[in-house]
Amino acid sequence: MAEISETMGTESSPPEETTNEHSKSSNFDDKTMRKTKPGLKRLILTLTVLFSFLLGLPWLLKSIEIYRSPLPFRDIDSLATAIDSKPLVFPCRFHLVFVNFDHSSSIKPKVDNLGFLVSSYMSEYAVSNSYCGTCDGNYTVSVSLDTGDNCVEYEDADKRILWKCGALSEFNFDQSDEAFDEYLQDTVGGSRVYTVVVVNTDQGDRLRAVVGKYRHAWVVGRVGEMNLVAEMAAEMFVKVFVSGAKDEGSIQGEFMPVGADGKIVLSFNLLNADPRDWVYDWDFKEVDEKLLAPTLEALAPIANISVESQVLYHTPKSSYSYWDDEQESHIFSTKDLPFFVNSNEWHLDTSIAAGGRSKILQFVVYVPSANECPLRLQLPTGEISVTNGFISPTWGGVVVFNPPNCLENANSMHPLRRKLSSQELNQIFEVFMGQLRQLFGLKSTGFYKGSSGTSVLLASERGFTEWELDALARQHACYNLQQCGTTLGSLSRLVQSLPRMIIKDEIGKQVKFSLEAAKLAQHNASQGICDASAVSSRHARSLAEDAFFHPSVMSISYYSFEHMFAVYSPFFLPLSLHVILAVVREIKRYKQESRKYAAWEALRKQHSD
Amino acid sequence: MSRFLSISILLLFVLHVSSESAGEEEFTEELLFRPLPDRKVLSHFHFESRAPPTNSYGHHHRLFPKAIYQLVHKYRIKQMELSFTQGRWNYDSWGGFDPIASSNAKPPGVELWAVFGVPPDQVDASWKNLTHTLSGLFCASINFLESSTAYSAPDWSFRSLSGNLRYGSLPREAVCTENLTPWLKLLPCRDKSGLSSLMNRPSIYSGFYHSQRLHLTSDEFDPVALHGIMLEQTLTIVLQPDSLETHPSFSGSRKLQPSWSMSSLFGKTVDGKCALAKSSNVYVQLEGSLVYNMKNTWNSIDSYEGDSNFGFTVSPDRMMKEINSIDKEGYSILYGFSINNDHSSKPFDLGFWWKLPVTWSCVKAPLRVSRFLMGSGNEKGAIALSLQSTEWSQSLLKADNNGEKCNLRVDVFQLVPWYIKVYYHTTKIYVDGASQSLGDIIEKMSVSPSEDKVSPGVMEMILRLPCDMKSASLTLEFDKGFLHIDEYPPDANQGFDIPSAIISYPDFQTRLQYKLDTTSIKSPMVSKMQERRTILSYTEVLLVPLTTPDFSMPYNVITITCTVFALYFGSLLNALRRRVGEEERLRKSKDKSTGKLRLLLSKLSAKLRGKPWEPPSSTPPSSSSKFISTKVVIKIILIAAIAFGWQYYDG
Repeated sequence: MAEISETMGTESSPPEETTNEHSKSSNFDDKTMRKTKPGLKRLILTLTVLFSFLLGLPWLLKSIEIYRSPLPFRDIDSLATAIDSKPLVFPCRFHLVFVNFDHSSSIKPKVDNLGFLVSSYMSEYAVSNSYCGTCDGNYTVSVSLDTGDNCVEYEDADKRILWKCGALSEFNFDQSDEAFDEYLQDTVGGSRVYTVVVVNTDQGDRLRAVVGKYRHAWVVGRVGEMNLVAEMAAEMFVKVFVSGAKDEGSIQGEFMPVGADGKIVLSFNLLNADPRDWVYDWDFKEVDEKLLAPTLEALAPIANISVESQVLYHTPKSSYSYWDDEQESHIFSTKDLPFFVNSNEWHLDTSIAAGGRSKILQFVVYVPSANECPLRLQLPTGEISVTNGFISPTWGGVVVFNPPNCLENANSMHPLRRKLSSQELNQIFEVFMGQLRQLFGLKSTGFYKGSSGTSVLLASERGFTEWELDALARQHACYNLQQCGTTLGSLSRLVQSLPRMIIKDEIGKQVKFSLEAAKLAQHNASQGICDASAVSSRHARSLAEDAFFHPSVMSISYYSFEHMFAVYSPFFLPLSLHVILAVVREIKRYKQESRKYAAWEALRKQHSD
Repeated sequence: MSRFLSISILLLFVLHVSSESAGEEEFTEELLFRPLPDRKVLSHFHFESRAPPTNSYGHHHRLFPKAIYQLVHKYRIKQMELSFTQGRWNYDSWGGFDPIASSNAKPPGVELWAVFGVPPDQVDASWKNLTHTLSGLFCASINFLESSTAYSAPDWSFRSLSGNLRYGSLPREAVCTENLTPWLKLLPCRDKSGLSSLMNRPSIYSGFYHSQRLHLTSDEFDPVALHGIMLEQTLTIVLQPDSLETHPSFSGSRKLQPSWSMSSLFGKTVDGKCALAKSSNVYVQLEGSLVYNMKNTWNSIDSYEGDSNFGFTVSPDRMMKEINSIDKEGYSILYGFSINNDHSSKPFDLGFWWKLPVTWSCVKAPLRVSRFLMGSGNEKGAIALSLQSTEWSQSLLKADNNGEKCNLRVDVFQLVPWYIKVYYHTTKIYVDGASQSLGDIIEKMSVSPSEDKVSPGVMEMILRLPCDMKSASLTLEFDKGFLHIDEYPPDANQGFDIPSAIISYPDFQTRLQYKLDTTSIKSPMVSKMQERRTILSYTEVLLVPLTTPDFSMPYNVITITCTVFALYFGSLLNALRRRVGEEERLRKSKDKSTGKLRLLLSKLSAKLRGKPWEPPSSTPPSSSSKFISTKVVIKIILIAAIAFGWQYYDG
């Protein structure tokens, strides 16, 4: 108050002065001139208020700021672009061995550039399959010639993959393919080199091509045209070893049955459609230990697989079959297959043991009831399915098991209780193994039909051969990295688009670890270690998904800027109007008054002059 | 020699029994009917599945539900009970002393308790995960029990299992078919065949009481697992049969009890037993007092046929009489019916009819318990627990008439949410209306007061009441707390539920022991009845109205305080920068010139008088009007800029 009264005093003084000095300067105009300097007090006061507000603003913003863990946006972008621009390419090494070829024969000049020839054929084949996880362009081909007594290494022959000279001289080719496969594994196996052995036997007129369980194949027969052999070897390398002998229309990476956390639960269900007719039971413990364990071990790099089983009852299928007199069975045609699985009555269920993002593959043994027994599936061609089963991609597979002599048993008074014998179980699980291979996109038949001939594929007792596992691991590594890249990319876009979202430290950590795992996967891929790459890419993907689906992300993103505006505007809006208007008025007034004073000064100067 | 023989036979028998119990998976289904004194019928379904221990049997099962097995193993559950209940068990007329009442009468809503076989520091984490899994499994909001304000760890008053037990209940959970369907899914036959096919949804949900229960016991994590996992699923329903045919000769004062049959109660019949069930039995139980009251007209009890008071449409396969009855006057009778699995036979439809009118009453719990609220207003209140003696405790007095003073032990367990702030020091006990000192009555008491937003208040108490008392009551005062705005549930004006208190009488144990004849097959339900169990009863759920705010209030408060602050601040600023002297001078000079209003007035009067208007003064108003217009323009621009900025920021 003291200040106000003081200023009142100073402000009220000019008119008195003017009256006093009115006689002195008759041309003083109190509308345009003043004799005292305009006061600064009010100007400074209003400016101080304004500036203290402006200074307080950052502090206020800081106090209402939400915690956001810093995410490595740049690293995420670089990873995403790196994965998009060039897909993961693994280096592959191929070895072509010619056995029993006469060193001095006419073949020799051609053998010199055989490596080149094979490479050129391979690039021809590779054009058509340039999807993720191949050895696109990043391969070496070495050629060895074994004449029995001495060996010649051609081309950029890798010294580590030397062919043991005369290794096959003791082998008797009358033995089975399996024996030869094991023999070859003993001589050339152990390394990550894909080998094709061409054996010239000078007997028979057809070339016989066999792909073994490990990483090698062989061609036996009378070798005539060298170009033909080279083409055959090239096709084998590209189509079989690199891309896993897949069909064109087979399952691609995005339909891979692996959950986002890198886990698969194989849920085996025995469905008794009507237990009033018969009740079937199985000894799943034995199946689990004997039949499934080797396969699960083989697939360990690709996914973390667990197995569970249950037996369900009263589970009819949801569509009808018709009786066919010719086949003496109930026929279910392929076009009705989408209605076979009865989701109302088949309580296959998700598993409590599995996490939320695990993939569950359902394998169902369907035991039909007496009034639809024997039930057979009919192919579109009109034939009866041999396996009597079908798959549904990413869901699982169904096998129909018809109880033996079901027509006779149907009228028994008491329900028949039977356990599936181990022979029946073996048959069923053979079909399931084929279905599992199909779900992974592999061939379920034992031969591969290429453009340059048909080759026999030997089946492994583990269900998956080593070269197939390599191909799967490569594809999975590549697909997982792609997914990891897109997930992290979406997360970074989401985080950047929602500035009011809390990001916990945990998310930041997960993103960091995910990026590290992705880098490790890329590094392993460049070294050609495909299973290690698959494992670390799986980690990268699951961590990225964990970060994206972190529960805190969903709950906070609804806290909007409007909310803040509604809370703070009733105070700051009227206040800022007051403060800004006061400052504007004061400045205007100060300018006006100083102009007045300047005019007076000028006048006084004029007078004094 | 003979002794050796008998020992060896006994040994063989024991070995046989132990091998049987550990050997195979088993599933049994049973159904019990019991006519109730108030013209209703109790139906009690009992399904039991057993899985042998994992270390001998492996983890693949053919009958036992996969989900439950995984649940037990994931959370290392030793024992668990989950119940969904609708309606309240009428302890007075439906009985409070028999095994079914003490194990299947449950509080309304959801009740869950579990004992975990994990180290004590992991129990809470296991409980939280378990609630989430169960809520997914049973389509219920059991996950609300996750919060530490919703469950507690009773020390000794509940089940006398200490340490790893957690207890929680949701009184307001609505129970309907979506909870029953997943429960049925755990049965091998679901409701496709067997006794469960009776469960016609409209009829079971239109009953007076409906309680669906799941009880798990496992010794999987004990060092020596003998029994494996046992899953007991029960569904208890109290239904009112339609009394269509009343006997004409008894239309007088004493009305005949209504007759019923499976088809009249459920609208369905049983086609045959579940093919997977080891045994499938239906029982009709007649209570001891009913049998006693019928004795007068009933000559030979051993055969129900003839001149008995009632009849069955299907003749019973066996009859079991109670031995060692607690009720000296009469003994209970159990009639058993086996369902065999014949395709050809006609559907099984058990009917029961009365020939003569009879009245009886059930054996009640030692005390009649009720809990209610006292006080009014939204600030304070009191919880009162009233215990009234029944004729049963009167008879006890006569029986225990030796020199010592007879006592009745009553255990009380009560869980109160934190927003009901109970003052435990205000506990008062009245016996027969007279106030008693706490030390005389309370033998043991442990109280953990609630902590705001952290834990509920738990009260455990052992009362020793004199046997000859008529009534006792216990009161506790409380203050109603305030919740944070976002802690109110939807429809907060309805009020808040306080879960039921559990009253148990450890001195009394109930068991119904039936004389089993050699021909009768082993029945899990009957053996369950023969187990000794403490009598337990639940009180009513209390509904406490809390002060609920106007939920738009925070914004209103923010707006009004902000406006007040802004006004204060603005006027202060104006006062600081005002120049009183100058303004006065300006006003004086302005007085000479006419104001805008006066200009308008003069214009108007000129028009009215019809004279050409002339400006009253020389000073043109243009400058002032121009000043006003620039001011307005500036304001408009300012607002537009703010709006633009807002839009821009928002977009």
